[in-house]
Amino acid sequence: MLAVSINAAIGRGAILLGLLTCLSGIAITVAGIRKRDLRALRSTTRYAYVAFAAALLAFIMMERALITRDFSLKYVQQVGSRDTPALFNVTALWSALEGSILMWVLVLTGFIAAVARKFRARAGDELLAWAMVVLFAVGLFFFMLSFGPANPFAMGALGVNDGPGPNPLLQNHILVLFHPPILYIGYVGFTVPFAFAIAALITGRVGEGWLLETRRWTLYSWAFLTVGIILGSWWSYEVLGWSGVWAWDPVENASFLPWLTGTAYLHSVLVQERRGMLRVWNLSLVIATFSLTILGTFLTRSGVINSVHAFSEGSVGPWLLAFFTIIVVVAIVLIGRRGDQLRSPGAIDSPISREGAFLANNVVFSVFAFVVLLGTVFPLLVEALNDRRIVVGEPFFNRMTMPLGLTLLFLMAVAPVLPWRKASQEVLRDRLFWPAWCGVGALAVSVFVGADGWASLAAFALGGFATGAALRQIVLASRRQGWRGVVGRANGGMVVHIGVIIIAVALSASSSYTRTQEFVMKVGETVTFAGHTFTFEGLSLESDNVKTSVMAAVRIDGEQVYSPARSKYVKQGMDIGTPSVKTGFVNDLYVTLEGNVRPSDTEARIKIYVKPLILWLWIGGALMAIGTVLAAFPGKRRQPTAPVSADTPMNRPDVAEHV
Amino acid sequence: MTNQLNAKLKHWSSWFVMLFCVVALMIFGTQRDSGPATPQERIESISKRLACPTCDGESVYESRGGASQAIRKEIARQVADGQLTDSQIVKAIDESYSADLKLVPGSTGFDALIWALPIAVLVVSVAGLVVAFRRWKVQGSITATDADRELVEIAMQEMSDQRDS
Repeated sequence: MLAVSINAAIGRGAILLGLLTCLSGIAITVAGIRKRDLRALRSTTRYAYVAFAAALLAFIMMERALITRDFSLKYVQQVGSRDTPALFNVTALWSALEGSILMWVLVLTGFIAAVARKFRARAGDELLAWAMVVLFAVGLFFFMLSFGPANPFAMGALGVNDGPGPNPLLQNHILVLFHPPILYIGYVGFTVPFAFAIAALITGRVGEGWLLETRRWTLYSWAFLTVGIILGSWWSYEVLGWSGVWAWDPVENASFLPWLTGTAYLHSVLVQERRGMLRVWNLSLVIATFSLTILGTFLTRSGVINSVHAFSEGSVGPWLLAFFTIIVVVAIVLIGRRGDQLRSPGAIDSPISREGAFLANNVVFSVFAFVVLLGTVFPLLVEALNDRRIVVGEPFFNRMTMPLGLTLLFLMAVAPVLPWRKASQEVLRDRLFWPAWCGVGALAVSVFVGADGWASLAAFALGGFATGAALRQIVLASRRQGWRGVVGRANGGMVVHIGVIIIAVALSASSSYTRTQEFVMKVGETVTFAGHTFTFEGLSLESDNVKTSVMAAVRIDGEQVYSPARSKYVKQGMDIGTPSVKTGFVNDLYVTLEGNVRPSDTEARIKIYVKPLILWLWIGGALMAIGTVLAAFPGKRRQPTAPVSADTPMNRPDVAEHV
Repeated sequence: MTNQLNAKLKHWSSWFVMLFCVVALMIFGTQRDSGPATPQERIESISKRLACPTCDGESVYESRGGASQAIRKEIARQVADGQLTDSQIVKAIDESYSADLKLVPGSTGFDALIWALPIAVLVVSVAGLVVAFRRWKVQGSITATDADRELVEIAMQEMSDQRDS
């Protein structure tokens, strides 16, 4: 009984401490700015550390409650169980609303403390001080959520000694340990550039300073979000049993939306750094990215949209909606107030230039984000305005986003070879020649191996084209700079591009050329499908306190035995299918056990999916992460007076001599 | 020698050859597009177009629930019957349920907005870009002043000195 009160009392006390610390942090920082009191501004670092320590303590107490099975807490009654394995007992913390908000608080305060530490020597800088105010304000909001509507330490009903454990889908794969925290780091990390953007608007320092301060924070947040999304796809593939990696589910869309606007920002920010332009646009993108994380959280945590991911619903909806509204209104007012300062004097000379390509890229990304947002909220609009229920699913998203994806591949091919300011026809002809032949080569290989369908062929051709352009950049940079040819923003960015291209090609192949067949097989029977043999060797039963699993033994190509299963989770009464996958560089063989089966059955329904290039999705994701790290390394410093464009043919001796 | 060969290769005529190859390959590749190859793949394709009536936002293809299994069976029966096209099967199953099971919204009435709005946004964005480029073109006629030229001269001289030293 004493342990019960310790978990709840310390946890709730820690959240209250964090809440008050953020409140004090705001007050002391604003007072410090007003009175130009350096001592007060320096003290914000300590407030940041205390807020982080408070969140960490609350997190530890929640984990302690789960590990020690403290069923006096309502949250543990919901997601805890005496029989849940230790790993999933730990991950149960983020398996429902209150715990996931607590994890958000922990990650957010971690970022606040990291920013405070990184910039502690410049605590007197007004830009940094206002950024800290914004960070504390966001921290205050999430502590308030955790203290009020999403209180993880609320006491539960008396006399409860056991619970159901986490949702079965959240306790049958190790990726549950990695995917949500990594995704959250990406999600929450965008708070830092948002805070600096708001600070820049408040202080009027809307030049390039805030961009440079937050460059790496944005890049790393984007990388974590990317890896989080990829891991989510992997998890879906390994757990859900329908062999897909992406279903345009509202929760998936909620993570994809900030990724789209964040990616647009990472490109358009280069135009501002180089040319001092697009200030309003960049501020808008940063604010949109952060706002979309809040809107996505509202959509998926309030229960307004149904989703297979809806592990958590609660009363946080109105709070998140109000917070989203405040962010948007404040941002619009601040941008409006700084209207004159935000106008940039420069001009983009030609649409056929690097900056022109970035603008086109931004338009496509923005329309992409709009399509995803519209598709996600459209059922809500129809229900609210027409009193009808509709579902907007994969066919809509695929149809609308496919041309946008192909356009992005085309831009990935063309943009890296374009010089800044203006490109002549000769430059384009010269620089795009070999990349374009790479595209033709990729198309020829695709046709040769039997690919069909114009969209897939276009994706393969454009993928080859874009890969050629990225490799050209890396080769040229490596010739000039040696090993530094793969580091720095431009070169690391090309590695990221190659990762994206691999993913695009793999997605296109796996969605277009998956082959499926369901077989009713007797024990000992062998079938041949897609050039592989599958022998059904029988069913077996595995049972423990958590679940009862019927597993099929399927030998593939006379070699290893794979074991797809159907598991009945005892407490939840849920029936979950678990696929078994033979992974290969060309094809995955994805085997599932279908229907209701008993271990004594002499036949079973075995479904086989032959899925091309799936492994390349994960390889592409890893390349994107590696490329981001390379991009974060400082590249070769450019002389401020060095020409920003490569030589045009007129300047090259071999061309000039003919003129 | 290599440069000359490279320049010859990159002549516009090579681009026409490239274009010819692309068109030929695309025509060849798309001509043999035969759609779903087996009845099973036709069942999968149809089940991706219908929502599971009892799940949270999943399609019949994705869902492992009982209602989806029943719909998959019905699709399999219709496919085996061979009387209806894919769209007719989708329509028939959708009409047999009270809820709207189609995962692709209609193209009439209020639902048409979901198709029209993205196109409108795209058109407005592209129009905005065109207007912006026109404005920048007018601004672009500003010429450098003598003071600007002097600054560049100094900077170039400094760079040249650094290189020499």
